[in-house]
Amino acid sequence: MSSDWDVAVVGAGVAGLTAARVAAQAGLRVVAYDRMAPGGQLVNLTALHDVPGPGEVTPSAELLGRLVAAAEAAGVTMSFAEVTRVHAGASPRLETSEGEVGAGAVVVATGLSAGRLGLPGEELLVGRGISTCAGCDGPLFRGRAVAVVGDDDWTAEEALELAEVAAAVTVLVPGRPGWSAERAARLAASGRIEVLTGATVTALRGEGVLSGVVVATSGGERELAVDGLFPYVGRRGPGALVDGVATDESGRVRTDDGVRTAVPTVFVAGDARSGAPDSVPSAEADGAAAGAAAVAALRPAAGRGLRIVDPTFGVQPAGSAAEILSGGTAEWTEVALFSNSKPNATELLRGVGERLQAHWELPEIGFASKPNASAAADKDVIDWLSQRYKMVLVAVGD
Amino acid sequence: MELEKRGVVAPLLVTSTFLPLVEAQAKARRVTPRVVVVPHPVGGLNEAELAERIEAAAGALLPLADEARGSA
Repeated sequence: MSSDWDVAVVGAGVAGLTAARVAAQAGLRVVAYDRMAPGGQLVNLTALHDVPGPGEVTPSAELLGRLVAAAEAAGVTMSFAEVTRVHAGASPRLETSEGEVGAGAVVVATGLSAGRLGLPGEELLVGRGISTCAGCDGPLFRGRAVAVVGDDDWTAEEALELAEVAAAVTVLVPGRPGWSAERAARLAASGRIEVLTGATVTALRGEGVLSGVVVATSGGERELAVDGLFPYVGRRGPGALVDGVATDESGRVRTDDGVRTAVPTVFVAGDARSGAPDSVPSAEADGAAAGAAAVAALRPAAGRGLRIVDPTFGVQPAGSAAEILSGGTAEWTEVALFSNSKPNATELLRGVGERLQAHWELPEIGFASKPNASAAADKDVIDWLSQRYKMVLVAVGD
Repeated sequence: MELEKRGVVAPLLVTSTFLPLVEAQAKARRVTPRVVVVPHPVGGLNEAELAERIEAAAGALLPLADEARGSA
């Protein structure tokens, strides 16, 4: 094993960051894993309604910034390794992209996977009309028709965000809406949103790029011409990631009592938990409960009195940075742009890049991108950029 | 941020809304980011609005880049 921790938290969104902070504040050695960056799914949601209280609106980045800073201040170590397997048991083990890790307790707070309809040809149209991030890709559909598939509050929020730019938004609800009355009122007041209940998407239309969907309702099937489709159904929990715990039909982890699974050292928080409400306050409450439960589970072993900890635990040795330094050998004429592919991000980068190119009289300027803001940058691309360029202007948050 | 850890000068182009999150993430990565902040949002802007963002970002980036090159 490459390392041992008191508590390993898998997923650093609202629930995971809160659980990690609570456990670290109790004096435990805590690592929080997120293969992209701490923040979780809310990075993709521009504004949070009814947060912190009813009728209030908070920018998601502001909330996440506070949560990351609080976890950091409590002593949580953030890891960007990908957790590929959690072996539950008396001494849980995690398989990660950086090796195997042991922990006294594990909090599973991965959230859910991206929405999918499970239709033929769907994966080929992802990024070509199909998206699960209105904040990222919504502006691509300015003045055009889009459809949103789902029945929960998240679906409603995404539809409302899309209605700010799209010409028309059709919300296809497979059964009955499960969103709140407040969101129902906002949807109704939008003027650009039509909600169809009992509507199931049965086929996708489009050659290379989405051009429409086939929708089945109680009145029969009909074609719906849309350029964008945002599915929020078919999201899966982390059941396949965790050995030895019970899951529901959607892969969410079942609990015996609140955040406790049948395994005494494994806890679950946030959307990964079967039956969890889809809201920020409940994710925070889950995280706090899971963090406290992990502390309680470890207390008998750790003792209740004063504990001596190594203050350098988890801190990289000073010399280790040299091992990964690969940039710095290129000349200052070697400059590139790296886009996250959010709408207008590349245009902004190119515009700024042209100004720098003229200012420094650069013969050319390189360019790279990742396919979408929701995906981690490919390691090979990072390797190439760091070996080839002296300076890289990066679009990260917009 | 990974690029900065590898010794590449990597200014981050960030909107004001995302700045607190980017700063917190940088701290978690033990990196002091070079940040160029522009007003939020960038997506959905028309050509003239985008040109304003480019102007603002270039105004912040050029001295930052000159300083990085000068101190190298």
